[in-house]
Amino acid sequence: MSTQASLPNLLQRLHHGAVGWLHSWWRLLHFAVLMFSVALTPSTYGRDRRPMLAGHLVADTAPNLAWYGVLSALVSLVLIRIVVVTSLSYGLSRFALEMVVRVLVLELIPLTAAAFVALRTTLPAGLEFSQGRSADRQVSEQELHGEFFPRVAAGIFAVWMLAAVSCVLTLILAYLSLYGFTPWALTGYTRVVGQVFNPAVTLILVLKIVFFSLAVGLIPMASSFYFGGSYRNKVTHGLSDMVRLFAVMLLIEVASLMGNYY
Amino acid sequence: MTEPINQAAPVRNAEFKAAVLLVLLAALVLGAALYLLYARGAFESTQTLILQAEDSEGVSVGMDVTFAGFPIGRVRRIELSKEGKARLVVDVPRDDAHWLRSSSIFTLERAIVGGAKLRAFSGIPTDPPLEDGATRSLLVGDAAAEIPRLLAAAKDLLQNLNDLTAENSALAASLANVAGVTGKLNGPHGAMGLIAGDDKNAQQLTERANKLLTTVNALAVKADSLIGHADDRVFGQQGVMTDAQATIVQLNGLLTDARNSLKKMDAVLVEAQGVASNTKEATADLGTLRGEVESSLRRVEQLVNEINRKWPFKRDTEIKLP
Repeated sequence: MSTQASLPNLLQRLHHGAVGWLHSWWRLLHFAVLMFSVALTPSTYGRDRRPMLAGHLVADTAPNLAWYGVLSALVSLVLIRIVVVTSLSYGLSRFALEMVVRVLVLELIPLTAAAFVALRTTLPAGLEFSQGRSADRQVSEQELHGEFFPRVAAGIFAVWMLAAVSCVLTLILAYLSLYGFTPWALTGYTRVVGQVFNPAVTLILVLKIVFFSLAVGLIPMASSFYFGGSYRNKVTHGLSDMVRLFAVMLLIEVASLMGNYY
Repeated sequence: MTEPINQAAPVRNAEFKAAVLLVLLAALVLGAALYLLYARGAFESTQTLILQAEDSEGVSVGMDVTFAGFPIGRVRRIELSKEGKARLVVDVPRDDAHWLRSSSIFTLERAIVGGAKLRAFSGIPTDPPLEDGATRSLLVGDAAAEIPRLLAAAKDLLQNLNDLTAENSALAASLANVAGVTGKLNGPHGAMGLIAGDDKNAQQLTERANKLLTTVNALAVKADSLIGHADDRVFGQQGVMTDAQATIVQLNGLLTDARNSLKKMDAVLVEAQGVASNTKEATADLGTLRGEVESSLRRVEQLVNEINRKWPFKRDTEIKLP
């Protein structure tokens, strides 16, 4: 008797869960479209809104840039050294540069840049922002332009900036680690870099950074935008945002790996 | 009533700093794009080279063509021709194209470890340069393809070695025979036993050899005596060598006489040379005499001519005009 009663209950719960899950993704998509339309509105960049946008941009990017630059340079140096020494010991040193570029610049740097910005800036800022807002208040257009968009834009920009700086820095470090302070290996190095970055790989790298940045910028703020009134939501939405963000990043990374190597 | 929203800490000169960050990002992206375009040869003027091969396995788009270890071109496209051959379309920068000559050859080497390599070789640098759009066949060297052949050869070799070292093989039989021979050599009859076969024959052979040695000894004694006699006949008091010595003395005298005769002959020849010299002088005098006779004859002729002119019956040779 109890099993007969619990089966519809289970199905009902499953149904509720699926609907809630789809609804949350739909809300995320809706928020993304809203932000996109705000980004395309010229008044967003008006004189009165520019200081707020610029402030978020600088506050989210500059400290991360310094810290992430130093950390990524150190990790890159260690990884480059490991790859070079290992390839030398197996007599495969001519493949070392290609491997360094592929592993670091194409895969690790964009992923860690996005994770760094998410953990240090957008996830805490999103949670803090949502906790500061009242539970049952509708978002006005003024708030959309003045509060949400600058935070989202700052998160997106920070990922672009960190990824670009770290990729260039890693390419320079790879050259210096392999050849030292000499300009004479630049021709061969440029040739190998040119071979690695064929049009398909370059496009996938650019798309990956763009999608990472969108995920990092949009997902934490989307929850604040649709923040419900319940206390439970208030406590748990920070964690669910993080899980959702890293799930999306994992999906993007898997898709880029499939695009590059299949 | 709105709740206070957590504001970011105010940033001084935020707009300027944001502008700097934006410019930095734009510069990085633009610089990276230009560098990648340069690295992929977008700004190079190139000429096309088409390489044809039976099989393009291991070749990929963007792969380098090297000359003396330096990359001088890259594969732009790989396609299948109408004849069913792989066509590799290679872009060669015009700056590097002078390394390729009309007689250049191109090889595709597939190593066991690592990717394939496209290489160019120019044997005669004075040949005309390779023209744009030239088609050349690609020579393929495949190290991995040699492995099955090598394995088959090694297998054959090992089989032969097994056959050689098998228990009933010819080599084993030969070695057993050698062991038997060395056993006999080490036996009581030694090498004689080996030559004779069994012990009885060896004993007989030894006895015969002893007899033979005795005979040889007697023969040696006789030979010694014979040599003594020969010595007496050759080098003794009345020996052949004494007569030969006397003959040599006589021959020496004869040679002395012959030398004297030759000296006399030499004097005769000197005199004959004098006679010849006199004859030569006389011949010179005859020349002078002949000159004088000729001069006298000319004078006589002049005299006769004079007489002819003064003679009364002289013909009148002068012609008088009317």
